[in-house]
Amino acid sequence: MMVGKGIEDININMPRDAYDIGKDTPTFRAYLTIVVKDSEGKVVKVHRQRSHSPTANFIGLMLPLTYFNVTGNSYTIETTGGSTYNYKPAINVSAQCISYPNSAYNYPSYIVMIQVGSGQQSNPYTAYSLAAPIANGSGQGQLVYGQPSVPPNITVSGSSAYFIISQTFNNSSGSTITITEVGIVVNIQTISSDGNNLTNFGNVLVWYDVLSSPISVPNGGSVTIYYTFMVNP
Amino acid sequence: MVTPDLASEEDIAKLIIPDDLPDEQPTFKAYIEAKVYDKEGHLIQYHRQPMRSLTQYFLALMAIPIIGTYQGALINQAPGILTSVLGLPSSINAAYDANISWDWAIQLGSGTQAFSPTLTGLAAPILNGTGAGQLSYGSLSVSHAGSTIYVSIQVTNTTSSTISVTEIGLRGTIYIQYSNGSVSTYSFLLSYDTFSTAISVPALGMAIFQITLSFTG
Repeated sequence: MMVGKGIEDININMPRDAYDIGKDTPTFRAYLTIVVKDSEGKVVKVHRQRSHSPTANFIGLMLPLTYFNVTGNSYTIETTGGSTYNYKPAINVSAQCISYPNSAYNYPSYIVMIQVGSGQQSNPYTAYSLAAPIANGSGQGQLVYGQPSVPPNITVSGSSAYFIISQTFNNSSGSTITITEVGIVVNIQTISSDGNNLTNFGNVLVWYDVLSSPISVPNGGSVTIYYTFMVNP
Repeated sequence: MVTPDLASEEDIAKLIIPDDLPDEQPTFKAYIEAKVYDKEGHLIQYHRQPMRSLTQYFLALMAIPIIGTYQGALINQAPGILTSVLGLPSSINAAYDANISWDWAIQLGSGTQAFSPTLTGLAAPILNGTGAGQLSYGSLSVSHAGSTIYVSIQVTNTTSSTISVTEIGLRGTIYIQYSNGSVSTYSFLLSYDTFSTAISVPALGMAIFQITLSFTG
């Protein structure tokens, strides 16, 4: 079938009015909720904001096989250390895809942490690490990282569905610590199903947000960060 | 400072379950577009509308890059979201290496149904073929520009009657490959929308349907 020549002159890819004008209800939202407690366990601040920013790493890991099959392209994943790896999943025994648990071998791909930092950067999409990560520890300028908590299920409520991941950090540094940026870091390993090819990418930043206002965590206090991912809010 | 009545974990939990924060830009925008051409290749209909209806399976799929496929560095089990929502195995019970990947597809239908985040299929899928009421599905196209992913498919109506498309779904298939060469598949409905006006594909005409998923940075 031939497509009429005149059609080429019509701008039909994305009309201006198809862009968001604040009247459409997005079908997906992500939120950050941050709860700060003092040394006595009393809540001293609750901060809420939209979470905006999956990184380029997330987009690459989300793409379906057809993208790789049709384009022939691989996708460059950049780790928090700045190393780059080519990601190109496929259905064949030698293609490296994200590892999956099995009883014989342990090549885990898993959430490492919600990471907090004291810097910021203007383009979250291209971020591959936090600008100024706050180290795990009880020394000056450090926070003691708890373990990330992941729910066992998705909660469905009416037409909405959501899951929440969270992590608590304690401040034993002796001084107030200020958080200005937050991200989600996962460890990614790819393996061919024949087991002959294995690559441990290491830590990969998949989500990144600069806080709309700094969060101060008092000495002896704690902060818990909740990421909520929701469809049809 | 938080008001004194905000003291319990239950109070905090209520804040974590979000309502809208209207003054901020949305994280995600999605659109459905349809372009219909007659048998001579003339554009005869253009339609676009916001996508509104992602399912819990989309949420579970996008959880994989966020939480990974293992419960932890030393826990050789898949996270509960993958097992309970997607029905994936907790662990491959054999001495096989295994990996996971996924693909998408666009499916069209001629029915309507109320949306639920647990929907598993279209109300009346239009089959791939040349028989009455069928459309010939072309190959899927996927591209991305920055944080926006475009998924499109061309369908051709080789029948002698107009076919009306009233619903569209994005389908996902997860593949788990094993070192013995076998592959397990798991299929899901990732999104479901009905068209605000039906898309009519004339006899011997064709149409291009595109889903745009835009994660704003």
